[in-house]
Amino acid sequence: MNNHALIQIGMSLLKIVILLGIVAFCVAYAVWIERRLLGFFQSRLGPNRVGPAGLIQPIADGLKLILKEDIIPANARPFLFKLAPVFAIVPAFVGFSIITFAPRWVTASGHNHAFVIADVNIGILFLMAISSLGIFGIILGGWSSGSKYPLLGSLRSASQMLAYEVPLTLAVLSVILMAGSFRLSDIIKAQQGHLAFIFPLILAFGVYLISAVAETNRAPFDLPEAESELVAGFHTEYSGMRFAFYFLAEYANIILVCCVATSLFLGGWVIPFFPYETFGAAHPWLTSIFGLAAFGIKAVLFLYFYLWIRATFPRYRYDQLLKIGWTVLLPIALVNLFLVAGIKLYLLR
Amino acid sequence: MPNEALTPKVEAPLRKALESKEMELNMGPQHPATHGVFRAILSLDGEKVVGIEPVIGYLHRGIEKWAEFRTYQQAAPIFDRLDYVGAVINSHAYVQAVEKLLQVEIPKKAQYIRVVLDELQRIANHLLWLGTHALDLGAMTVLFYCLREREVIMDLFEAMLGQRLLPNAYPIGGVRFDFPRNWEKVCRDFLERFPRLVDDYEKLLSENRIWKQRTRGIGIVTPEEAIDLGLSGPTLRGSGVNFDVRKAMPYSSYEDFDFEVPLGTRGDVYDRYMCRVREMRQSTRIVSQALDGMPEGELKAKMSKIIKPKAGEAYACVEGTKGQLGFYIVSDGSKQPWRVHVRAPSFVNLQGLETMVMGELVADVVANIGSLDIVLGEVDR
Repeated sequence: MNNHALIQIGMSLLKIVILLGIVAFCVAYAVWIERRLLGFFQSRLGPNRVGPAGLIQPIADGLKLILKEDIIPANARPFLFKLAPVFAIVPAFVGFSIITFAPRWVTASGHNHAFVIADVNIGILFLMAISSLGIFGIILGGWSSGSKYPLLGSLRSASQMLAYEVPLTLAVLSVILMAGSFRLSDIIKAQQGHLAFIFPLILAFGVYLISAVAETNRAPFDLPEAESELVAGFHTEYSGMRFAFYFLAEYANIILVCCVATSLFLGGWVIPFFPYETFGAAHPWLTSIFGLAAFGIKAVLFLYFYLWIRATFPRYRYDQLLKIGWTVLLPIALVNLFLVAGIKLYLLR
Repeated sequence: MPNEALTPKVEAPLRKALESKEMELNMGPQHPATHGVFRAILSLDGEKVVGIEPVIGYLHRGIEKWAEFRTYQQAAPIFDRLDYVGAVINSHAYVQAVEKLLQVEIPKKAQYIRVVLDELQRIANHLLWLGTHALDLGAMTVLFYCLREREVIMDLFEAMLGQRLLPNAYPIGGVRFDFPRNWEKVCRDFLERFPRLVDDYEKLLSENRIWKQRTRGIGIVTPEEAIDLGLSGPTLRGSGVNFDVRKAMPYSSYEDFDFEVPLGTRGDVYDRYMCRVREMRQSTRIVSQALDGMPEGELKAKMSKIIKPKAGEAYACVEGTKGQLGFYIVSDGSKQPWRVHVRAPSFVNLQGLETMVMGELVADVVANIGSLDIVLGEVDR
């Protein structure tokens, strides 16, 4: 292999390690944000003892979970029981590989750094496929636990996620139509200098948000893990690090959804009215940092939205949940798709 | 019955194999949403409930028997532990029964003080009910707001009675103390703030589409069924039956106060929810009126220190926080009661669970148990 290929591989590995580290950190501290923020919504403080403002809490929790006894129930199927959390967490992390976090940094010496691990030409399609794998983690986990509550929870969750995959994909499809490409960086570039896609595609945005909340099993669609009804749904029998995997997988999925939503609808790292041609060309690394910060702020906005609705709304019953997915969101997503296709065909020649 | 013409002709053994059995789900004594150690064995056909067998007794402490070996005053504190959320009213029911046995008349001032404390207890109970009911259905924020309000009431109880939760509020014959210095002011502050806070909770829930979808049309009990089952309290009034002990058989000067009794129309979970929320507002009115019209007078009736009622029996009931709470006391002329029986509203209301839950989904069982507002201390005694 020649030098160039080796350097490419090395750079990719480096990016993977950095991204994994950052994502793991963000996932752990997303839990902290949620607990603090929910506390504030609920007239209380949330964790504030372990370290300043409770910032060491995620580390303490992680340590506790690692040190816990690994219990596998007698009725469980051991191999599947151990395999299931892997199916949950791997797709969540793999999804981050196609997201572009900042504009390309072209150095004076001509080196080209893209803030993305694998900007494949089937970007969003790849993401949809990979995130569908996460459902296996839930189904396997529930079934292999060998007990009724997890079984019920996993079946519910599977139906729920299947039901909401369709409007989610249709909403994303309309974005792809507008941008003309599956590649995420193209989608972001299509919003640079123009309106962010949230404006023409407001319907798709609404459908995407609601479907994403349902896909990630979050309130008000969190029946599969509803404490009050099924104890803990599909992860009832999981403890210690296996449970931590499910937990981390859920938050990683949330952050993934937030990042994807900012890329698709809010323009990702694009800062409106920013002089990319002049300032951007002159100071590439500064532009990249600004882009990264913009991306981060937009993603955090979505995270806040997630937490806000968790604090506010009661939970939908399972059949009502499915009804909304199939009879409300799907028609809206379809109508939206036809509208966008029509606009693209006739207006935006 | 399956339509013969439409049923596919399947071989007998195959049909037997294709029939799905009912699944038995144990909503065990340890469950986040059963409001105590309550066990319900559900028979499910898929997600639909086709049978429910409530199993109680996990909190049985032999309270009624225990009371037989104590004097009347000694027995009083344990009845707080029945409905441990609405303890003050339990105390009231018991002392009322004993006072009926003794045939003593309670001074007017003591009656008004009892009304004030009772209605504050009712508000506190309904706040906890609302918080836990909303939590069961996923709205976790409401719980913390309700607990925050409850703290004020418990502070008031602590200042006046010395205890937050189980204060053993009333001695036989009246009340122990008058309001402490500044107590009325704090209480009135609370009463002034409270209606706006109830508005906040209603804003979060009453018109919320998700809440309505979870509670409207769920757990319907017709008025006839409700009366047949012997339901009482908001569970009964949610079905539209106008029976409130405070209006039907007034005690402790309730006839002096002007308040409404909220009624439901459909008898579903939503109506029971609205009844209790409106009751909170009405209780605020009653306390204000009682504080405004507080008469002067004695705190306790004149009676001997040793309570030795003549042989006989007495039944006294009050409008408890959960429904009609009655005490039936049989005296044999000695210092200790011969028999104390508690007509616990939660115990009777729990029998309505089957009617409410049949044919509904598992998630609705939780909503229904929440709307019954049971406390296992009362159910099991």
